[in-house]
Amino acid sequence: MPDTSTGVVVIGGGSTGAGVLRDLTLRGIDAILVEKGDLASGTTGRSHGLLHSGGRYCVNDLAAAIECVEEGRILRRIARTTVEDTGGYFVSVSEEDEAWEPRFVEGCQKAGITCERISVEEARRREPALSTRVRTVFWVPEDGHLDPFYLVVGNVESARRRGAQIRTYTEAIGFTRTGNRISGVLTRDAMTGEETSIGCQAVVNATGAWSGFVARLLDVEVKVVPVKGVMVVLSRRLAHAAINRCHKPGDGDIVVPGLSVAILGTTAVKVPHPEVLPIEWDEVQLLIDEGAKMLDGVTTARAMRAYAGVRPLYDLGAEAEGREMSRNFAVIDHEERDGVAGFTSIVGGKVTTYRLMAERVADLVARRLGVTNPCTTAEVPLNDREDEMDQLRHRPAQLGVPKPHGDELALQPLLCECELVRPQDVEGWMKDPAVRTLEDIRRRTRSGMGPCQAAICSYRLAGRMVTDRGVDGQTATRAMADFLETRWRGVRHVFWGSQLRQAQVTAGLHLELFNADRQLQEYFPPPLGEGQGGGVPAEAVEAVSQP
Amino acid sequence: MKADIAVVGSGLTALVATRTLQKAGRNPVLIWPGLSSLYFLYASVDVLGYASASSVQPLEEPVTGVRQLIAENPDHPYARAGLAALEDGSNLLLEWLREAGFNWQGTLARNLLLPTALGTPKPSCLVPASMVAGDLHRDEPIVFCGFEGYQDFIPELAAANLSHGWNGGSRTVSAVRVSLPGVKPDRLFTSIDLARNFEDGAFRREVAGRLRRAVKEDGARLGLPAVLGLTHDNDVHAEFEKETGHPVFEIPTVPPSVLGLRLFDRLRRHLQETGVEMIWAAPAHDAEVANGRCARIHLKAAGREQSVEARAYLLALEDVVDGAWRAGPHTVRDPFFHQVLAQHATPAERTDESLFQPQPFATIGYPVNDRLQPIEKDGHPLATNVFVAGGGIAGYDPTGIKARGGMAIATGYRAAQEAMAA
Repeated sequence: MPDTSTGVVVIGGGSTGAGVLRDLTLRGIDAILVEKGDLASGTTGRSHGLLHSGGRYCVNDLAAAIECVEEGRILRRIARTTVEDTGGYFVSVSEEDEAWEPRFVEGCQKAGITCERISVEEARRREPALSTRVRTVFWVPEDGHLDPFYLVVGNVESARRRGAQIRTYTEAIGFTRTGNRISGVLTRDAMTGEETSIGCQAVVNATGAWSGFVARLLDVEVKVVPVKGVMVVLSRRLAHAAINRCHKPGDGDIVVPGLSVAILGTTAVKVPHPEVLPIEWDEVQLLIDEGAKMLDGVTTARAMRAYAGVRPLYDLGAEAEGREMSRNFAVIDHEERDGVAGFTSIVGGKVTTYRLMAERVADLVARRLGVTNPCTTAEVPLNDREDEMDQLRHRPAQLGVPKPHGDELALQPLLCECELVRPQDVEGWMKDPAVRTLEDIRRRTRSGMGPCQAAICSYRLAGRMVTDRGVDGQTATRAMADFLETRWRGVRHVFWGSQLRQAQVTAGLHLELFNADRQLQEYFPPPLGEGQGGGVPAEAVEAVSQP
Repeated sequence: MKADIAVVGSGLTALVATRTLQKAGRNPVLIWPGLSSLYFLYASVDVLGYASASSVQPLEEPVTGVRQLIAENPDHPYARAGLAALEDGSNLLLEWLREAGFNWQGTLARNLLLPTALGTPKPSCLVPASMVAGDLHRDEPIVFCGFEGYQDFIPELAAANLSHGWNGGSRTVSAVRVSLPGVKPDRLFTSIDLARNFEDGAFRREVAGRLRRAVKEDGARLGLPAVLGLTHDNDVHAEFEKETGHPVFEIPTVPPSVLGLRLFDRLRRHLQETGVEMIWAAPAHDAEVANGRCARIHLKAAGREQSVEARAYLLALEDVVDGAWRAGPHTVRDPFFHQVLAQHATPAERTDESLFQPQPFATIGYPVNDRLQPIEKDGHPLATNVFVAGGGIAGYDPTGIKARGGMAIATGYRAAQEAMAA
């Protein structure tokens, strides 16, 4: 007998898995989501956050562009508070770019993307930081910024209210079958090691770049090529709108404004494993050099950190049957393709089209389960309960959440001064059993994402681990150190100018004023025979690598 | 302007060097390049907490440790400065602190072991009297005391760590929290606001009463965040001990650090009151060298250019915090002589993979000779009348061994001696 039972187990807590969970739940299907890390801790949370108008795909991949147009409009309806309507510009800075322009304009027309050529003078009036190298400018109003974490939480909470369960830090490690049909999933808690079995009628593998690993547990092959993308975060937005290079999509050709920062994106390098994401200096340099061709100030702005994400590029080559296909993503029906009934994978795709991907896979799963209720995710808003988003998380300055008067806001205590996070914004999350690490708190509140990279708030959050969660000193100190180490891994790659000065303050505070290196040595002594010590144990460092 | 000796810096190194010159009857000008590191990095004077960056056992006798360090590492900044500079400089500082109205305690012969805001025992040497009662060589139970709504000292966290680490968990440690009269916990207040409030007798007595009721253990020591007065700390601390009926000790907090503020503000005011000229917020960007000597340095002061012509120059910079170096992605240069102090293929090379290990960037600085003169590759001084102290010296890394204050004093004092002789 399994420990618990449900209709469908969705594996993967990124945007796709969260979307599938909600879609199934809205159709009245009982479901549990399991995720081996935190929600949005893989590809979704490490995207650059562009809500695609479709402009970047309209020449080379018209089908994908059309999907982006439609889904962008749907998201603005159903997930209003996760989208910032920044608009975007496509700018030419070279002759080659200018040669691309007619194809771009034609692609926009075919895909139905609103696109307007404006004078460089007008563009510079709107975006004073545009580089003098810019020759031509197209305004694309439907580019936007999508808050990927907020999107995932919105989907998951909506599903939870309808009875779905969410289990984070829960890895799928095996399956049970009855004949050729899946009848359950065996999971393991990533921190306690506790194993749990979940009985079910169907499983959706929504693990993106990790799909192959999950499929292999069933001796089924899913070919996903993990492609690393590096991004650099600047401490200021530099522009109101997203700035795209008007050329064949390539490396370093986009600057996405997100809340208070700008993100330079991105590179594309095949990697052997989705968790092997080294940040190379030539990638960081390329992003800064290429970004500077479009926007002044990229080279002089304070770079706060670099981070790497992984795209799940689906290898379409050998897949001819058993799937509904788009140019953009694929639903693999393993019952038809491999004879494993009840198992479906969804691969490829992008955050902008997560809802459509979820709809396609839920259509198949529902049909197999004999459920005829149609998909309603394009109509039912995420925040279908009053003030839901307010309760989820407060981002008073950015997301149009009702906020107190200016002077009242200024007088409120802040837990993270850099990102204007208030103590009450973390209180609920501290008590949420799904939240295990301070990185999880960061994803939910933005605490620690500003210029000081958690130098101050890490102490306050460690304190709350003790006061609000009742953990011991060792656990709280470890959580603080892990949080700082994760931030440090991003800061190291942009280690010049202000961030170098910041690092001396951070080190001075934690190693000198707090003597934290010795506290760590005491809790986690170095192995015998090793002179060095004081760092966080290697396995803790490897366990997380987040933006 | 013309000057006798120009001291550039804004941390303890620059203050000690300036005071040394002043006491010797010279006429120093103090040039602040930027924000003082005292706000961030200092609370007490750590002379030598550990024999090495990786040793676990705190040193009982810092002066013995320094002697051994000098014997084993002839290139260490302590070795170049000499033990005498540490001893004489410490005496000069303690005397100065007394004259400026501070009550500091400690000797180079012995480290105190003081709990941090994280609850870690930390060896420290010369400390404000208001910190002394925290010494973990003493046996009385400790009660960490925090305030409702105050985020920068978490008594429960400090207690959780110290109860584990203090003599193997054999001592009594606990935490209490009280609300503050007239302070709403849902309103923004900082350590500085609290420090001002604690100077008010009625406020302080009310807090003391609340603490007396909250603390059950007789004879326990109370560990409070360092907010006992912004300027009149001596009186506030003594009064508060009487009012609570317990020994009380202050614990440094995250910036803004009240302990650092007190020290910095009073010492610089004392220098001004005793006639030292200062140039504020004036980062240097060039030095003119002629005939082997530095003729003048150029500053960007208050929106205009200013040059200072001195007989000798003492560069007492605190690494990067006060803007000592110009660090690009590959090259770190000094702002005076535009020397390439370090070159890296990638910025990440400046760091260790872990924040909690010694960092290569910390050691960037001028190579110096035994007179603390910055030298070229061939060993010749860049300019015979220029001397370096503090974080400006190559290989200067006080973080892991917990020696920031002592190294500042020793090198600042020694460089001042050399500058006077130049």
